[in-house]
Formats: sequence, C-alpha cells, structure tokens
Amino acid sequence: MPVPLYGFLQGDTVGLLILADDGDTLEALARKLQAAASLRVAARDPLRVVYHDKIMDPAMTVAQAGFEALDRFDVLSGSK
Amino acid sequence: MLTREEWLPLARKLDWDYSYVREDEVFPEVISGRPWLPHSEWKDWEESFKTSYREYVDNQYEKDMAVQAVHDAVGRIENVEKLALPWLNSLKVHAAALPLAEFTGVVGNLRGARFGRDSAWRTMATFGALDEYRHTQIPLLLFHPLLRLDSQFDWAHKFYHTNNWFAVAARHFFDELTVGQNAIEFHIATNVVLETGFTNLQFVGLASLARESSDHMFERMVTSIQTDEARHAQIGHPVLATVMKHDPKYAQYLVDKWFWRNWRLFSILTGLSIDYLTALDQRPYSFKEFMEEWIIDQFLRTLDEFGLEKPWYWDLLLDELDIYHHMIYASAYSYRATLWFNFVIPGPAERKWLRQKYPKYWDDMDAVWEQISERWRTVGPGPANEFAVHGTAMPTFCDLCQLPLSAGTPRKNTARVLVHEGRKYIFCSEPCQWIFLREPERYASHTDIVKRVLSGEAPAQLPNLLTEYFNLTPDTWGKDVHSGDYEWLRARKDSAA
Repeated sequence: MPVPLYGFLQGDTVGLLILADDGDTLEALARKLQAAASLRVAARDPLRVVYHDKIMDPAMTVAQAGFEALDRFDVLSGSK
Repeated sequence: MLTREEWLPLARKLDWDYSYVREDEVFPEVISGRPWLPHSEWKDWEESFKTSYREYVDNQYEKDMAVQAVHDAVGRIENVEKLALPWLNSLKVHAAALPLAEFTGVVGNLRGARFGRDSAWRTMATFGALDEYRHTQIPLLLFHPLLRLDSQFDWAHKFYHTNNWFAVAARHFFDELTVGQNAIEFHIATNVVLETGFTNLQFVGLASLARESSDHMFERMVTSIQTDEARHAQIGHPVLATVMKHDPKYAQYLVDKWFWRNWRLFSILTGLSIDYLTALDQRPYSFKEFMEEWIIDQFLRTLDEFGLEKPWYWDLLLDELDIYHHMIYASAYSYRATLWFNFVIPGPAERKWLRQKYPKYWDDMDAVWEQISERWRTVGPGPANEFAVHGTAMPTFCDLCQLPLSAGTPRKNTARVLVHEGRKYIFCSEPCQWIFLREPERYASHTDIVKRVLSGEAPAQLPNLLTEYFNLTPDTWGKDVHSGDYEWLRARKDSAA
C-alpha cells in the first residue's frame, strides 16, 4: 500500500514527496529519498531515519514504524 | 470663479450624514473592514498630496510620454537582445509576475474607492486604482511584444492564468492581499507594508540593477511606476494610525502577518534577480545588504512611528536573510523546467562573492552547487542532457505561502506538520503556520500542488504536469542558460582528464 510522505534529506534545499510502500524498510525508504535528492546532495553513509524526533531502527517497516500519509520524516547521512 | 483652494475640498473631501440608511449598511464591516467605527472617528483622515483629477491626468500624461520616449529610444527588440542572458531571464520573471499582480491592485483600490471610510481616502483610492491600471498596461506593453525575441515572454500575459506552482503561490498571495480583501486590511497590507516597504526592492533595487545592466527601459519603467506608488501609498498610514488607536493588537497582527507574507514572495522575486540573475560585475550590493538598508531599517522606522512592536518572528527573519532565497534558487534550478525562465549556475567567481556576502551558511549551499555542477560534468553539456540534470521526485509546498518547503537550512529544514480539524497540513516555517492558525477558515480549503497531484487533479508524471497543468511547452519551460556548457566547468573537466 503506497504511503505518500514528506522526506527531508540533510544537506538538501527542499523537501520531497516520497511514495513509500508500507512494507518498505526504513533503510529502503532512506535510500529512496537519497536517490531522489542525488542531484543536489552527495551520497553518504550511514543513513539514519528520524521520525517524531527519534532515530528509528532501519530494519523496521514503514507500517511497523507507524508512518501515516503526509507525515514528515528526516534522513541524516554521514557519520554522527 | 472659484480658486483651486476653494473648490478642491468639494471635489476630494465631501462627506455627509445618511438619513435613509444606516452608516453600517453603507460601509458594512465585512467589506469596509474592522474595527468598524463611526465616521466621526475617520473624519480627520488626510493625506498630503491633495491632487485634483485634472492635475492627476496631466501629470500621468507627462509620465507616460516620458516612458514612451525611452521605449522608442532604447526599448526595441534589438536593444533587449544586447542584454546579458541572466538579466534577460530576470526580466522574464518580472514580466510575468508584475503586470496582472498590479491589476489585482486595481480591484483592491476600487474597494477602497467605494468602501473606504472617508471621502478623501476614497478619492485617493480612485487615483490608486488608475495608477495600478497604468502599472498593468505599461509592463504588458513593453514586455509582451518581446515574445518575438523569446517565446518565454508570452508569460507576461499567461502566468496568472496558469496553474504553474509559482502562479498558484502568487495568486494565493494577491487574492488575499487585494482581490478578496476588505478596505482596511487592503490599505494597511498594500500601502504600508508592500508599497512603503517591499516594492522598494522592485522599484529602487531593481531599477539600480537595471541601470548597471544597461537596461534603461526597465529602469525607466519601474522608476515611473514608483512615483505613483509614493503617492497612493500615503493612503495606508492614516488608516493604520486609526486602527492603532482603537485596536492596537489587531494593527500589530496585520503588520506582522503581511510583512511575513511579503517577505516570502519578494525574497524570491528580487533575491534571485539580485544575487543570481545579474552579472557579477553589475551587482552593486547583495540582496541581504539591500534588504537591510532599504527594507529592514525603513520598516523599523515605520514601526516606531506607529508605536508598533517588532514582529515576534524578527530574529528568524533576520536569519532567513542569509539563506532562504539561496535554498529556493538551488531548488528552482534543479526543477527549472517547471518555470518559464532560464537559470544559470553560479560559477567559482560568483560562489566566491556569495561566500563573502553570505558566510553564515554558504558552506552548505556550496556543497549543493558542487553536486549539481558535478552532474553536468558527468553527463556533459548540451540541451539533450537538460533532464539528466533535473529533479525527478515531486518537490513539496507550504500550505500557507504555497512556496517550496525550502525554509531553514540544508542541515535543518523548518517544515512542520499540523493536523487541523482532521486534515493534515504542512508549513515551511513557524510564521506560516501561525498565520494559518490565526484565520484557518480563510486558508484551510486551499490545496497545494502536492495535494492536487495526490487527488488526481494534477498529473503525477513530470512531463504531463509541465504541459497539461503548468501550461509549459518544450520551448517555454526553463532551462540552463548555457545548457551546462560553462567555461569553468570545461576547465575542470580538462584538468580531471
């Protein structure tokens, strides 16, 4: 089931609409956002997903993490 | 024979008591504005120009003849062809955004001409409406014929009639500011905030840049328009003074709200022109320097004059001077096909200048331009590669200002989600959310471009969105001015090889 989300990649200049699948892992979701912003932001690892101010387990799925349509998530990239 | 001084008050300031209707029926609060006060509270409304209709017409005729003379001398297509390409694209921005926005000013002033609370106010608003009609016609006359040179100038007429994302944002702003506004809020928002403050960006800042860019036609046009603005902007000050006397909290709210809304729009309209679309050796100052000298200082003096406080978001606004329009320009460059003008990448010399002018956040912006440049270097220059150096995912927009979610910094975007009466909204910044929450009934039903795509109203695929919804064509959608073929980028490629 597709879930439209507002994604913000650290280093980017604009938020992007990301169509997640509720079975996507958060790692895959972060990769989707990174690929969508690759014109402006160089790829760096590791990626961390932040949702409601908490760093999330990358192995969780979008559904398990409780993401709902039009929620905001952030992706931090590079070493902490 | 009466002297001018004897007949002028009869022509411009003549009020009487109503006997067949109540005053609040003649001037209903919903359209005259609040606070609703009897005319006795407005009877001393006055402005200093005290112009008669004949004087107005004579004066405007002289100004129109002067503009026409400059147009005949230096405003022909062959003159425009000689302008630097980035500046030509700055002209396209203003050619589209200015004329019909001014036309909405006709509507707002006509509302003041009927529903303003004193006859002298109504007289002046009548002239204001005529002014704004002039400000519609002159740029249309000068800019639209340039489509023979470049089809993107067709957007001088077309822009506001499209659902282009920037047109949606501009309509959202001007519909509230002018078309759907009561007389009191219109005159405070337009005359005090927009015309006393922000149009200096257009009419002083851009006039100066136009002169530096040898664009004497544009310089003359905006200077001529400014002389009208200086006159009819006088309407708002006595309106604000009366509202301040009777409801200072509401006066503060109107000023705070409209300063922010103006900042959002004009930082894009003018910020991009000054810091990116003017050749480096023709930039006498940065956008931030101009804002500080002409807008911030003047606005603070206006606040002092009326006993108003600085807006609560003042520190945030000062911080945005360093970054917001840079975030927007980089985002817009990477989605340039969604707009009707062409873009240029800041090269090493421009980036050095930008770093000097904007040291606070430039490291992060520089990384973005490095990445975009690297993409051009990888795919190679040429029109065929435009879309290889273009965003593909849908960018997102604020539910208040309707502009991209590009506020904050690259490290921390300030977008915020709000659930209001069961519906989810997103705002680029705290002030945009604050404005929404003060009058949600005014804004809640408007849908931004993302919601239109998700509902199926607008196509999701970029090519269809561009052509079917934004009304662009391959000829008119925005491109890189040089198709990625920059000398400094070639030099870098050669050294890499």
